[in-house]
This record gives sequence, structure tokens and C-alpha cells, in this order.
Amino acid sequence: MMNKKADVLVIGAGLSGLMAAAKAVEQGKKVLLVAKGMGALGLSSGCIDLWGYDIDQPDQVCSRPLQEIDKLIQVNPHHPYARVRDVLEESLDFFRKICAENGSPYLENEGGNWLLPTALGTMRPTYLVPASMAVKSLEEADKILVVGFKGLKDFYPDVLVANLQRNAELKPSCKLEPVLVEVGSEELKPAALAHRLERGEIIDKIVQQVKPLLSPGAVVLFPPVLGSSGGAGMAGRLADELGCPVYEVSNIPPALPGDRLQKTLLHHLKTRGVEVIIGSTVTTAHLEGNRCVKVTVRCLSGTMTISARVFVLATGSFLGGGLEADIEGIKESIFNLPVQIGAEEWSVQEFLDLKGQPFNKFGIAVNDHLQPVDESGQVLVKNLMVTGANLAGCNYPIEKCGNGVALATGYKAGKLVEVVHGE
Amino acid sequence: MNKTNELALDNCIKCSICVTHCPVAKVTDKFAGPKQNGPDLERFRLEEPLAVHPSIEYCSNCKNCEVACPSGVSISTMNCRAKGEYVAKNGAPLRDRLLANVELMGDFARLMPGLVNWGGKVKLFRELAERIFNISADMTLPQYASKTFYELYRENKPPVSAKKVVYFPGCYVTYNTPEVGLALVKVMAHNGVEVLVEEFNCCGVPLIANGLLADAKNNARNNMRKLEKYIDAGYQIVTSCPSCNLALRREYGELFDMEKAHRLAEQVIDVFEYLQVLAENGELKTDFKHLSLTVGYHQPCHLKAVGCGVPSKGILDLVPGVEVNDLDAGCCGLSGSYGFKKEKYAISQEIGRQLFQAVKKKGLNRVITECGMCQLQIHHGTGAEVYHPIQVLAEAYGLGSDIK
Repeated sequence: MMNKKADVLVIGAGLSGLMAAAKAVEQGKKVLLVAKGMGALGLSSGCIDLWGYDIDQPDQVCSRPLQEIDKLIQVNPHHPYARVRDVLEESLDFFRKICAENGSPYLENEGGNWLLPTALGTMRPTYLVPASMAVKSLEEADKILVVGFKGLKDFYPDVLVANLQRNAELKPSCKLEPVLVEVGSEELKPAALAHRLERGEIIDKIVQQVKPLLSPGAVVLFPPVLGSSGGAGMAGRLADELGCPVYEVSNIPPALPGDRLQKTLLHHLKTRGVEVIIGSTVTTAHLEGNRCVKVTVRCLSGTMTISARVFVLATGSFLGGGLEADIEGIKESIFNLPVQIGAEEWSVQEFLDLKGQPFNKFGIAVNDHLQPVDESGQVLVKNLMVTGANLAGCNYPIEKCGNGVALATGYKAGKLVEVVHGE
Repeated sequence: MNKTNELALDNCIKCSICVTHCPVAKVTDKFAGPKQNGPDLERFRLEEPLAVHPSIEYCSNCKNCEVACPSGVSISTMNCRAKGEYVAKNGAPLRDRLLANVELMGDFARLMPGLVNWGGKVKLFRELAERIFNISADMTLPQYASKTFYELYRENKPPVSAKKVVYFPGCYVTYNTPEVGLALVKVMAHNGVEVLVEEFNCCGVPLIANGLLADAKNNARNNMRKLEKYIDAGYQIVTSCPSCNLALRREYGELFDMEKAHRLAEQVIDVFEYLQVLAENGELKTDFKHLSLTVGYHQPCHLKAVGCGVPSKGILDLVPGVEVNDLDAGCCGLSGSYGFKKEKYAISQEIGRQLFQAVKKKGLNRVITECGMCQLQIHHGTGAEVYHPIQVLAEAYGLGSDIK
């Protein structure tokens, strides 16, 4: 059986795994990243949520997410943010730096949350956004034109318009209008549409159909299909042609901004010498005492082992496959680490209950070095760090902190590879 | 369909990641996409094997869908079988049978390689071939070598050594780039390993990609017969072509359910994986020359699908003066016979455009990649000289003179 060797093995290609690999390779480590597939980051909005709502008044969008996280750590010292508060700002700076270097800048809203429209016409708080999604002036718009495409499933301008009217704070005189443009295909897939836009084939058609509907002070919203790579190039080009601001709104999978972010970060890693294996599943860990020496990997064509000095577990939660639930209970799928449940009931009846589903908080408990610990705080595997959605204690859909936790914990794991190896 | 496959089908959560990563669906509406042709229709095929969408012929068998799938669904295998069902019922055009039969083409060309190579460049002949056979007149044809790899091997037999491996060269090395095979034999000999060869048949991947599953299975059976004694004797079977590697390691077991396929899979190894093992045991010679060579690296889709990473990386990192730039620009688009087909040529070039741009943008005039077809396509799209990484290693050992 083939054995590969690395200084650092990162398991998972979601945001936390990619960040861990990026920070580790920056320190000159030989890094290998293995993931069973392209995973949950590619299904995400592509925005970095840090903290969405006010802790004391949960119906209010929080205006200063970093300060709110300080408050959170006081009331909930078991939240993953409490483990990474020391590196939170620098992790965000690092992320923005590598995205910008790779042509996909992410924008901050002067330390506050952005409040961005979704495809359903709701307004969603988030912290860092791709330039193409950074809607700044909705409340000042005299007209909002929502453009959909005939044949593109999962984006309906009428729905967006009807709900936005109710959810957004707009000028009383602001006119909202939906339009479906025809670009000559019966069925459109987002990636194919983005490609045709990039090739310039359909820009004229879009402009011809959209421009007559515009008036001064208008803002145009598109589904997130404006190009297959990051950056605001295509949104900017359409804005120039139409003579008014153009933005993408977030949408359900397969929405491209998450995919673009994943590709951007993978590209960053590969060009810096990280070896990446996608489509291979790490199945078992081999421990000697309380250190992991190697893991077994099931590839598309057989099995191999990978040995490393430090391991980063970034396999996600139930969706990513890092945690598995069956009638017997819940387990972490590779190291068989104890999963902290911390709730009587795994779920509540109302699927979208505002208190959140308890199962989202299930995960692995870690110390300040992100090493997995048991109930008494004893480190279980010394050269292992656990990141992102693998961690216990956060309810990301409600708290709006999923990518923020992933980003900061991944960064910290990458930063600590030397420290953890020395322990 | 067996139980495991049914389970794999249920694992599909319809997230569409496979569609987003399909290079074909991105550039054309003619392919309904890997999800639609794969797991979506597979459910119907449980009852009715002919529930196949005709757009399946636009699947290029690159396997990016399966690599990207986070849920372990064998999407490309489903697509391969579906194409097989479609071709079994509707037949394949003569053109597809010709292009898929790489061995037949090679055996024909070797009778008069000079003439075939010349003919392949004459516009009139190419236009005729396009009109009669629907073979694109624009795609650069592979050049046939004056002697096959097997002939050259017999003329340059490596020294006998106690350490032996079997080499499965694949058709492209056999007929078109025997220098790659020779470089491999020399590099191995330099490290004290004797390379044995047999006259194998085509691994079957071009046949599988054209839906000719019965013919592919035939090849697989013949190859297994020739490999059997080596498998039993515990030899490692070395490849330089990622598609051959994938066929031996995976397709023989998964598509053809062959006896001993499991053992074969364990003994097949990419040449650079083999060298890595030598390196780890301290047995790799490191008497490298300084090369002053900057190259782009393209990872073939089928190497991604094998799942062993980039085995050449660790070894080439050891060679002083070699700078390898990962291009990371996706599929080259040629996908074996796919890009030679008249109706698919434009699709193939459009898929490869991103890769061509990456080569040009970085100002690289030398590229390395393991797959012969990717080598041809990158040369076609950029004019760059394209090599197999083993040729760079042979050069570094002072054993080759291929790198221009």
C-alpha cells in the first residue's frame, strides 16, 4: 500500500481546511490536503458571516460583530469563538489578503454588518462579501430592477421583488420591478450562464432588454451568475454598459460565489506548493499513544496511507460528513472522537425554529490550541487540531457565524502547527 | 446493479456540485449534465436499462463529477454504463469505432508512419476525413513514431537486476511517444530497477469513453491474462499514463467485475509513486544535474481521479534548478478521442481555453503533464513544448536529451 508523507495533513476542503493549509504553507511546511469531495463551501453563499444578530435583542441586526463576539464569549465561554478570539482580526486580514492577491477581493463594511438582499427577498446580515455582492445603496435607490433569466431555475425575480418590498427599508417612492430576460436557451445552468457572460456572447442581449427599463437612481440586482471566477469584473462591465450599479444577490446552491471562493483558495494553495487530493476519503486514524502517526485513505482507485507530523480535522458536520448520526448515536467519522451533545433533545419540531436546531451545536470540544479534549479537559490526540463545523457549541444557521468560525479556527490551526507538533 | 451501487445512488443529495464542476456542461447546452444523466436517470435504469438521455454522447469521461462529489456517488461510472447501454442499442458510428480503436490505428500507422504523419498535415486529406468520417480537420493529429516502444525496448534492453517491475506503457507511449517509455526504462535502470515489458493491449479507456464496453472488456481480459503471472508473482505494475493507471486500478474491477481485479489494483503504481517509495527508503539516486528549467504543470483529470495526488511533485522538487508552476486551470478538453470529433472540436477547445491562457499568461514555453492526450492538446492550443515529467527526471540524471 502506498504511503505519502507530509508535515501537515489537512482533512477537508471547506473554508477551515483551506485556511489551515494556507497558513501552514506560509510557514514553509510541506502541506497535503485531502478531501472526499468539493464539499460544503461550494454550496455556501460565498459571504463570510461573523455574527448576525444582537445577543440581547435577537431581532436586531448587530452593528458591531467583533464587539458582539466579545460579549458572546462572556455569556458563552464554550462557543468556538472563545478559542480563537486572540487571532480573529488577524485571521480576517489574512483571508482578505489572499483573496485580493488572487483577484477576488472581499469587502468589509466599516466594521459593521452588511445587510444584503437574498434571492428570496429577505435581508441577510453578513461581514465580508465579494465585491460583486456589496450592495451599498439600496435604501437610497429610486428604482430596483431585479433581473432573472428565462430558463434559469431557482431564481424568480417576482418572488424577490414581492418579499423585498416587505423586508427592506426603502424610499417610499422606490419602484421595484422584476424582469425576465431571454438569452436564447431553454434551460440554463448557473455555471454555463456565467461562462457565456464571460465570453461576452450575451451581454448585448441583456443590455438591450434591461436598459430601457432603467431610470435615474436605479440599482440592478442579478442572480449570482456574473462570471465563474471571483472579482467584480462582470458586474462592473454590466454596470458600465447599463449606467447604474449592478450587484449579485445570494442564492441557494448551486450558487457560484461559494464555488468561486473555494476555487480561489484552492488555486492559492496549489500555486504555493500544497498538494491537493480531492475525491479521496480518510477512513481511519492510526494512533500511537496519544499521537496520530498516519491515516488510511480510500481513493477512487484503492487505498493508501498518509503519515504526517500534525493533522487538522476539518471534515465538517453532518452535511460535510465529519459527523455521522445513526440510531446508536453520533460519531466523528475518522478519529472516533467523543461528540459533545449537550442537549436532551436532538431536534425541535419546528424546522426553522428561531432558537435553532440543537443538533447544529453538536461537535468536538477543544482547548485553546484546538486539540480535542475529553470532559475533564484532557487532550485526546496531541498532534491533532479540530476546526470549523467539526467544533461543538455554535449554532451557525441562527447565529450567522459559520464561515467566521471556520475562517478563524482554520487560520489558528495553521498558525499553531509548529506549537502543537512540539507538545 | 449491485447493492453497493444502489446505496451510492441514494447518497446523491442533488446538491449539483457535479454539474458546477462539469467542464462540458459549462461550455455547451448539448450535455444535460452529469447529475441528470447519472444519478437522476439511474433511478429509472434500475427498472429500465435503456432510460438513457441521448445527450450522454457528449459526456467526455473526464470524471471531474466523481472527484467533486462530496457524497461518494459513482457518477461517472453511471454515465459510462449509460453510454454503454445507449451504444449497445443504437450502435456507434464508424468514426467512433475507429477513434476508440487506438491499437488498430497505431498498427496501421506503423506500417508507414512517415506517410501517415505527412497525410495528417495535408489540408485536403483532413477536409476529406472531416466530410467522410466527421473527424475534425482542425485538430492536430498525434505523430506516429518510426519505431514502437516495444521495438525500441528490444533494441535497448535494460541491464538485468534482481529488482524488477512490469511496465504497462499504454498506446500513446507505444505508438506516439516511445521516448517517454525509454526515459522511464532508463530512470528505473539508473536506480537499479529492471523494467520488464509485455505486448499489452490498449487499456480500454478510449473504448469505454465511446460506449464500446464489450470491446473494452475484451481488452481487459487479454491484459489480465498477460498480467496474471506477474500479479501472482507479486510484481508491481508501473504506468506512466494516468488513464491506463485508472483503468487497471479501478475500471477493471468496477466496470467489468473481473476476478483478481482487486489484487491488480493493489499492484498497479504510477512511476513517480514508485520512485517516491524508493526515495522514502533512501534508495533513490540523487545525482542530479542542475537543469535551469522553468515549466508549467498540468494535472490530467484522470490523475485527479486516481486520487494519488501529484506523485511527480515530490521527486521533481529534489532536482536543482527545476521550477514547476502548477497551472491549476482545469480540464484540457481533449479527453482522448472526444476533441477529434467534428461536432465536439469546438467544445473541446473552449474547455481547454482557460488552460491555454494560463500557459500564455505565465509566458511558459515548456509544460509537463503525465497524459499523452493532454500533452497533444496543450501543444495544439499553445505551441508550447510539452513533456512527460519522467523526461525531465531522465534529463536531470543525464540520461536523456528530449527537453528542448
